[in-house]
Amino acid sequence: MSPLLHFSEHTLQEAALAFMALAYITRLTWLFHFKAGSDRQAPTGAADTTPRRGILYSWFNIAMPWAMESTRTKMFMYIQFIIFHLGVTAAIGLSFIIPYAPRLLDSRVAAVILMAIIGAALLVGLMRIIRRISDKYMRAISSPDDYFSLLLLTVWFAFAFLSVPNSTAWGEWHLLTYFFLTAFFLVYVPFSKISHYLYYPFTRYYLGKTLGHRGVYPMKHARQSGE
Amino acid sequence: MIVNNGGTENLEITMSSINTRSHKAQKVIERMGKKLNRQIVGSLVACVHCGMCTNACHYVLANPDDPTYAPAYKADQIRKFFKKHYDWTGRVLPWWVKAKSLYTDEDLEELKDTVFGKCTNCRRCSINCPMGVDYATFNRMARGLLVSVGVMPEGVAVVSKDQWEIGNQMGVLKEDYVDTLEWLAEELQEEWGDPNATIPIDRTNADVVYSINPREVKYDPRTISDAALIFYAAGENWTMPSECWDMTNFGLFSGDDDLGGAVARRLYEKVEELSGKTLVISECGHGYRSTRCEGPNWGKLDVKFPMESSVITMLRYIREGRIKVDKSKNTTPVTFHDSCNNARSCGLFEEPRELLNLVCSDFREMYPNRTENYCCTGGGGAMSMSEYTPRRLKSAKIKADQLKATGAEIVVTSCHNCVDGLTDLIRHYKLGMQVTQLVNLVANALVIEKKVMVPVEEITADLAGYRILVADDEPDFVTFVATILEDNGAAVMRAYDGDEAIKMARHEKPDLMTLDITMPGKSGIEVFEMLKKDDDLKSIPVCVITGKPELRKLIYDRPTTPDGYMDKPITEENLLINIRKILKVHHHQETVESKKQI
Repeated sequence: MSPLLHFSEHTLQEAALAFMALAYITRLTWLFHFKAGSDRQAPTGAADTTPRRGILYSWFNIAMPWAMESTRTKMFMYIQFIIFHLGVTAAIGLSFIIPYAPRLLDSRVAAVILMAIIGAALLVGLMRIIRRISDKYMRAISSPDDYFSLLLLTVWFAFAFLSVPNSTAWGEWHLLTYFFLTAFFLVYVPFSKISHYLYYPFTRYYLGKTLGHRGVYPMKHARQSGE
Repeated sequence: MIVNNGGTENLEITMSSINTRSHKAQKVIERMGKKLNRQIVGSLVACVHCGMCTNACHYVLANPDDPTYAPAYKADQIRKFFKKHYDWTGRVLPWWVKAKSLYTDEDLEELKDTVFGKCTNCRRCSINCPMGVDYATFNRMARGLLVSVGVMPEGVAVVSKDQWEIGNQMGVLKEDYVDTLEWLAEELQEEWGDPNATIPIDRTNADVVYSINPREVKYDPRTISDAALIFYAAGENWTMPSECWDMTNFGLFSGDDDLGGAVARRLYEKVEELSGKTLVISECGHGYRSTRCEGPNWGKLDVKFPMESSVITMLRYIREGRIKVDKSKNTTPVTFHDSCNNARSCGLFEEPRELLNLVCSDFREMYPNRTENYCCTGGGGAMSMSEYTPRRLKSAKIKADQLKATGAEIVVTSCHNCVDGLTDLIRHYKLGMQVTQLVNLVANALVIEKKVMVPVEEITADLAGYRILVADDEPDFVTFVATILEDNGAAVMRAYDGDEAIKMARHEKPDLMTLDITMPGKSGIEVFEMLKKDDDLKSIPVCVITGKPELRKLIYDRPTTPDGYMDKPITEENLLINIRKILKVHHHQETVESKKQI
């Protein structure tokens, strides 16, 4: 392993992670500067719809594709979403496995699973790029950050895919690119829409709390047809 | 220059930007800081532009070629100036995240068009967002910001003013309101021959204080008398306040929390003044949400007495055996439309169905329904924003298809706004359905065993035999006039635009016609001119009823003038006096003419 690759796998990642943590702490401090709105009303709706249940339902809403019309009626999009985010998780995991637990990749099964997940995510990334460019609704709502983040993630998937075997037989370029891209991501994410996962627990918490208190969450009985 | 905005954020505004920014735009940006809370900020920063919300919006579905209706696009019109002034991503790299400030009054007008004219705050996109972005909530915030600098549709300004100054959003005066209640009480007593069948006003220590929508007094008094009948049948100790009785709240639509708080507080204080035990809110989606849910938040007070929708009250009466109903009295197929405010913001969707199944024999579900139902398209104050009517009616295609698919003849809804929105779209898409409320169906299904039959003097329906054409583009107004005339024995035909009025006049040859001046298609003036030029129609007496008295000159400058004229708003008494007078005079003229001919 060259000193550059070692640097990119360790020092660079640690510095980037520290930066990201700092940026996130700053971001959350900023978010908590804003007062949380209060709800003085007495609860409405069925007795089994409470703020607590609403919050839990809201948090896990994304794991229930049947719960929202938007996911229920676009199952293919939902599957893409699952694959894409599994790919992100796998690619992040890989950035820790290679430097700190490389022997895990000695298992052929583990390596194949990782490659399959990241490879599928790469395909989804390409499909999402096409959708964002070709769909007029998507174009209308997209910012440069949206295009850049998606493009960068897709390229990152490609290099993560190549890096899974953790082999330098064809040189170190793919590993170096993967780790430099990972570090770039860690620095860039707090400024981009990719940081949405930081807000997810909060937006979902407050929506769930409100709608749980008002008898809307957990949603029941809403149906698209009489069948 | 540093502007402190409520301690939430220090907003730096350079001298150069002040020089290029209008006063109103400056105020909107500054005041945004005071309106932001954690929920709203979370929703503003969390959108990933995934597009999953797009098809949740009825505006999008009806306008597939126009991406500016997409909820995420509309949200970005607010998000862009939030990012520019309150979020570091927009401050550091504005073009990268499409952050942009507001500079001119034209920018504010564009924003107005989006937040008032392209969204009814129905919250359907909110419950379909994977991230939990509550667009409807910050759209309302943006409305409030614009209202605070006087940028709003004219209708919003007029209604808000009435609610601030007169105390209800339709400007109903206390004497008219009390007169209406007394008249309804007299009718009830006459019908049931029981002096106890009344509408108690300002009774103290009542178990139920009943609050209503001013639309009921002005256009739909039958909902009040039906409610009164139900309270009478249930033996309820109830009352209606003589003042502060309006449970609607335009603050919900305008985004003005001060108005919202003031209106809610008036009603709460009135209930406490009367020592009422429970506040019952008549069927109105936004009224229920405002009074029951949002009012305490806007008014920053804790309400000590319980509040409930009249739907729940009626259902409770049946469950407790206080009233008996016979569903065979309502056999026409009905469907139910969920009000967005009731279903998506208050969880009120099972009770109306339970009640419907108790009072109707043929209830047909509409799909999708409950929390996933589509907006009636008249929500969010849209019915008061006439400049967006064509847009609203186009988007109503989605609801029209939903209604049609049920095969029902009557659509029931627990919301006055929805009654108006649905009536308008049913007429526009020629669905031939009727709109009614649960209170009407429950009253109709009532079985009152101890009905006291006291012989009463037969009331002469003095308009019996007359055929009257009512031409006006406001469905509410047509219903109001038609109901009064029909109650007095007349056969009424309805026309909703000038072309339809002429066509019906030719076909039906009515004995009298009431005519609005400003209508779609041919105006009232053109209709009047055509009538008077047509030998077959010129003898039809015309009573002009207009909300625009400034146009009176246009019609009175002509050689032939109408037989009667009234300014809106009108009262029942005035309408009947005028109609009777015109018919009497006309009859007299005809008699003289025929005598001359003999």
